[in-house]
Amino acid sequence: MTKLKTTSLYEFHISKNSKMIDFAGWSMPFSYDGTLKEHNYVRQSAGYFDVSHMGRLRLSYSQIEEINYLICSELKDIDNKKDLYSIFTSDTGTAIDDVIFWKFEDDLILICNAINTSKIKNHLNSNSISYEDLTYDTDLIAVQGKNAISIIEDMMLIPEKFSTSKNSKYIYARTGYTGEDGIEVMLDQKDTLNFIQQLEEKGVMPCGLGSRDTLRLEASLPLYGFELTDDITPVEAGLKWTLSNKSDYIGKQVIEEQLNSKNHKFLKKFKLNAKQIARTGTVCKVGNINGIVTSGNISPILGHPIGFALFETNPPDNLVEFDIRGNLIEGNLLDKRFLS
Amino acid sequence: MSETKYLETHEWYIVDGENFTVGISDFAQGELGDIVFVTLPEVGQEFTKGDSIVEVEATKTVAEAYAPMDCVITEVNTNLESEPELINNDPVGDGWMIKAKINEMNDSGMTYQEYESFIS
Repeated sequence: MTKLKTTSLYEFHISKNSKMIDFAGWSMPFSYDGTLKEHNYVRQSAGYFDVSHMGRLRLSYSQIEEINYLICSELKDIDNKKDLYSIFTSDTGTAIDDVIFWKFEDDLILICNAINTSKIKNHLNSNSISYEDLTYDTDLIAVQGKNAISIIEDMMLIPEKFSTSKNSKYIYARTGYTGEDGIEVMLDQKDTLNFIQQLEEKGVMPCGLGSRDTLRLEASLPLYGFELTDDITPVEAGLKWTLSNKSDYIGKQVIEEQLNSKNHKFLKKFKLNAKQIARTGTVCKVGNINGIVTSGNISPILGHPIGFALFETNPPDNLVEFDIRGNLIEGNLLDKRFLS
Repeated sequence: MSETKYLETHEWYIVDGENFTVGISDFAQGELGDIVFVTLPEVGQEFTKGDSIVEVEATKTVAEAYAPMDCVITEVNTNLESEPELINNDPVGDGWMIKAKINEMNDSGMTYQEYESFIS
């Protein structure tokens, strides 16, 4: 077994009695006070997450045309100091990774999923794009929640939503993965403990990857490896809104064909009319259209199970039947987000 | 009442005459994380040692509790239907799952000390 990687906060997490899990080769906090409590800290006030396992690459601005060719969204024409969620696409239009770009005047920060960091680096290498890997020299802390902005506004200048900023200590953006407002901050490892202590003094609670997952699911956000994979295109994952790239890009032809023909897989949101959770891998059916659950869990706010399921073609209606360990449980497909 | 015994599958039981009470251990609830739903058996249902008697849905995963001996259910903890978190908060007390009449006594579970060294 290879040794798990740890973030600079590993000892800190242990001192907080965090339950640690192996996630994408990293030993990461799963929960401190319990997933449901941490979920509610974020929905009701604010929490912080150590997400330093995510890949962080600095790219020079001069390569923006070449980078634009690898993703399905328009990066070069958006304003500086904006952030961009996008997807690196393969030549068959499928997702290599979903990522965030922080666009500055002089450089770009690319944040990718921990599980895909080497894949993205190889992909950039093979397309002759150079980068500086910041993953092991910096930390990334997400401060998220209903009150997150009002709590941290005396610690840094708050940018507009979906915008970036930096000062002598922090490089950050008003982004997140919980459905709540907040900031994601990249900082030098020597400054992280001090930053976290300031957050804790203001009542921001530590949260683990368990609540990060229930929060993102409830916020209808996809997770790479589940809703998006090497075998799923942005069109299939219901992420048509990301297809803003006006120029040519890898996989564009397949993606446009799917848009026109509608002959592709369909990712759908669902809710269950029971208490059982339809978890990843649960098979389901709408009429004779087969599907498989990509993610499923309880929605702590709604009080019933929710999830995403991938169907081989577009389901003709919204009544869906799940086979949960031999029991047939009914649910409904939803067009709207789980939380309004 | 006899002492609380533990199984390798992380159930506990306490024998009281011909009957016993069953739940899951503190270690098991900690591994599962927040428990959000429990499927309990019905009173009168009969089980053989090792059968799945209770299904526990947690935010992290789903797990089953198995019958420690051949038994017939005499009572289920209906409080768990509205408060499944009782298992997290008090697994060997208010978080008990079922009471049952033992059909065949097989009191071979581990003592707490034995179980502690088993899980550590």
